[in-house]
Amino acid sequence: MLSYKNKFYKPDGILKKLLKIDWFLLFLVLIICIIGFGALYSAGDGNLNPWALNHLYKIIMGFLIVFILSQFKINFIVKFSVIFYLFCVLCLIYVIYFGVGDVKRWIDLKYFFFQPSELTKVSVILLLAKFFTDYPTNSSNLLYNLFAMLLVLFPGFLIINQPDLGTGSMLIILGFSIIFLNGLSLNVIFSMIIVSLISLPIIWQNLLDYQKYRILVFLNPELDTLGKGYQIMQSKIAIGSGGIFGKGYLAGSQSRLDFLPEKHTDFVFTLISEEMGFIGSLLVIILYLLINLILMREFLKEENLTNKILIFGVSFLIFLYVIFNIGMVSGLIPVVGAPLPFISNGGTSLITIFIGIGIIQSIRVSRNV
Amino acid sequence: MKKFNIKKDVERRFLMLSVLKGLSFGVLSWRLFDLQVIENKKYDKLSKDNQFNFSLVVPERGEIYDRKGRVLAANRDAFSLYIKSSENLNIDQILFKLMSITNLNEDDINDFKIRYRDLYKNNVNIFMTDNLSQRDISKIAVRLHEFPEVNFLMTKKRVYPQGAITGHLIGYTGKLTEKDLQKNKNLINFSNLRIGKYGLEKFFDKKLRGEFGRRRQEVNARGKIITSNLYEKPNPGKNLNISIDLNIQSYALSRLQNIKSNKLEYNEPETGSVIVMDVNTGELLCCVSSPNFNPNIFSRGIKSREWKTLINNKKAPLLNRAVSGLYPPGSTIKMAVALAALESGVIGYDSKFFCNGVKEYGDMKFHCWHKYGHGNINLSQAIERSCDVFFYELGLKVGIEKIGSMLKKLGLSANINLELNELRRGLVPSKKWKLEVKGTSWTPGETINASIGQGYMLSNPIELTTMVARIANSEMSIEPTLLSNKKQKFSKLDINKNHLTYIKSAMSNVVNNEFGTAYKSKLKNKNIKMAGKTGTVQVIRISEEEREKGIVKNKDREWNKRDHALFVGYAPLDNPKYSICVIVEHGGSGSTTAAPIARDVISKLLI
Repeated sequence: MLSYKNKFYKPDGILKKLLKIDWFLLFLVLIICIIGFGALYSAGDGNLNPWALNHLYKIIMGFLIVFILSQFKINFIVKFSVIFYLFCVLCLIYVIYFGVGDVKRWIDLKYFFFQPSELTKVSVILLLAKFFTDYPTNSSNLLYNLFAMLLVLFPGFLIINQPDLGTGSMLIILGFSIIFLNGLSLNVIFSMIIVSLISLPIIWQNLLDYQKYRILVFLNPELDTLGKGYQIMQSKIAIGSGGIFGKGYLAGSQSRLDFLPEKHTDFVFTLISEEMGFIGSLLVIILYLLINLILMREFLKEENLTNKILIFGVSFLIFLYVIFNIGMVSGLIPVVGAPLPFISNGGTSLITIFIGIGIIQSIRVSRNV
Repeated sequence: MKKFNIKKDVERRFLMLSVLKGLSFGVLSWRLFDLQVIENKKYDKLSKDNQFNFSLVVPERGEIYDRKGRVLAANRDAFSLYIKSSENLNIDQILFKLMSITNLNEDDINDFKIRYRDLYKNNVNIFMTDNLSQRDISKIAVRLHEFPEVNFLMTKKRVYPQGAITGHLIGYTGKLTEKDLQKNKNLINFSNLRIGKYGLEKFFDKKLRGEFGRRRQEVNARGKIITSNLYEKPNPGKNLNISIDLNIQSYALSRLQNIKSNKLEYNEPETGSVIVMDVNTGELLCCVSSPNFNPNIFSRGIKSREWKTLINNKKAPLLNRAVSGLYPPGSTIKMAVALAALESGVIGYDSKFFCNGVKEYGDMKFHCWHKYGHGNINLSQAIERSCDVFFYELGLKVGIEKIGSMLKKLGLSANINLELNELRRGLVPSKKWKLEVKGTSWTPGETINASIGQGYMLSNPIELTTMVARIANSEMSIEPTLLSNKKQKFSKLDINKNHLTYIKSAMSNVVNNEFGTAYKSKLKNKNIKMAGKTGTVQVIRISEEEREKGIVKNKDREWNKRDHALFVGYAPLDNPKYSICVIVEHGGSGSTTAAPIARDVISKLLI
């Protein structure tokens, strides 16, 4: 324990460290990535382009990030959390003025579009882990918790303002779950719920008509039969028509005939469900469940609070992505635009999740060197 | 101590959140199970609806032949003009250009504009017309590079090679309209479908139309067709063989339309009808109505000007007089009145009545056509000379009810199952009918009128032909049909044979005895004889004053005030084969106008 305190990085121990990596977890991740590759190959009508090959490159980059992060001591990584957080927040402010895309969500980095809102998720996990361990005051202290909430809400509202309700609310749910985990008093939670319930009608009354309409469409996409309602209906048709065994690989009529919207990103799960049936969709869910179980074991094994929070944060992030995505495409929750981890052909989101996996590996490797 | 507590706390909270996670995964799995296993059928159908478009394939319409296999209705290859729509097409300019080089029908263009407005966003081929002449098609074909949006498609077009000769019988087809759909719920709504609108085309529409096939097209979300194949073959319509003999039909028509007498004032064809029926099978060999129309103008799309001329013509060429023309039958029903009298036993073969030219009943006078009367005559002579007074007396003796039931037995105002929707039933009045419809009771004067086929009584030519056929056949209640080889089963005609033989010999005398009203129209061939009965039907009442001044002769009256000329008959005498009915509207007397036509048509048939 004492020996590594001053040495965050030891270049001569690469092999030793690589052996300590949780290879089973990486194996599961690889399987999901391969499923994603296959799905994107199908989304391109049986072509490597435009998505499958691109996805392969990103996966390789992701695994490199995991290996690189595993070489760093976790404490060293946590040290940068404040800078990382500030960087993300600055980027979020930057996109307000210089963002590209119709909703000002991305920063054009010439070779790819960078989406700071995704990266903010990891930075919030790191920052909260640092905050709660650096200032371990009474966890039920209200002001203390309010400050933590502010750290979450500030970038959260910046993102919602883009507007990206999905990513923003996911960030806020993630941050609040960590605050809850750290021991926010139940009284505070209940009173917060009551306050927000009371204020809801007041907020609703002060909204403009088009804002109300947007929220109504958000809650019930079928109101918008040509836009989101159409997407969700087609998505449900694709999933439902898959049946138990699916229509067969490369034979999904809904995706092949372009009835599926964004079949390579947010709606990629639909394509898998259509072509591989209930068996295929259940397999994907079980794989995510397995990853969560591994991280759960990791959490319980861990003694250090910082690391506990980090492990929880990463596992909850993956969980939220899955729930948001599959819940959305199957019509359980409103259309929020969330990618499916390791499968959707996203850019920054994919890297974000790999950074999370990298942090887990760093914790493992750091544990008993 | 404190740190330990925090750790414990965190782990408890972690387990709480883990339970939440587990539940969420459970909900997701259940949702997928619900969609993919429980509700699979519903979504599978929706997916197939997305994936496939079914378009109908029109079956080829059945053809119609006469009894000797001559084509009366057929399909000919034709080209249909389609225009491929797109969002930014200047359709008016294209139409203007097309109109400048071809004779596009204005109605077609208007219909097309409506279709185009509804469909242009779908980027599909929109039907324009199938009425282009060969000339127009080649004109467009040569300049096709100027019209990249224009496509030709092979279609079938209905043609009627005999044109107006069989116009009323065959009828025509027309575009499916909203009205048709409302009337017949079984019809599939398919633009460009033509259905029977008149005549046999209408009556046998379902049989002739056949069953639709289906073409299955895989379409993507933008409506683009990916694959297309025939999914269900269309079932072509059945052909129809009808009993008409085209030779007789065309001969009878031209004979009817070219009556020699009275041709100086009127150049229009005569109005009337000629029907010939096989007295053993009920098959109609000829069923002519004049004036007539050419059904081919409906196939090429009738122009509104042509339609107006047809509709506004006072002589109603669209009316099939042979089946829907209703006339007072006049003297042609005298056989039926005689049979009613004989059957009820009120007179014998030798009973006589005296005719002095007028029958007075109460303060009313009923005249015989013969101003000075026929003297003392018996039944046979009364038929032969068509004495009216004799039948006035007879009618009063028999009564209207017995006359009516005999008329119905012989087919007048009876349920005739002829294969034409245009058939209109005649009217045989009765006491009950008078009370129900007119609200007053029957008077003997009306019986007097009815016994010479005037008054309320109405019948169509088909009924009169059937009546004669039943008398000639003497065994069976013959029913008319337009189908050949229908193999009908008839019920027995329940009338005393001796009475029928007596009546038939009287009918023979009408034509073959020198006092007979149709003696001038006896067949020129001495071996074959025809029997019959003339009828001259008044269409206006002649008052006593006019009668005293002397009746104005037919040809001096206005056309529509002249008498109808009727003749019914059968031939040959000994072994009857055909019954015939000739009606010439406002044609004068039955013996001078109608009987010669019957004679010529029968000669054509038998000699």
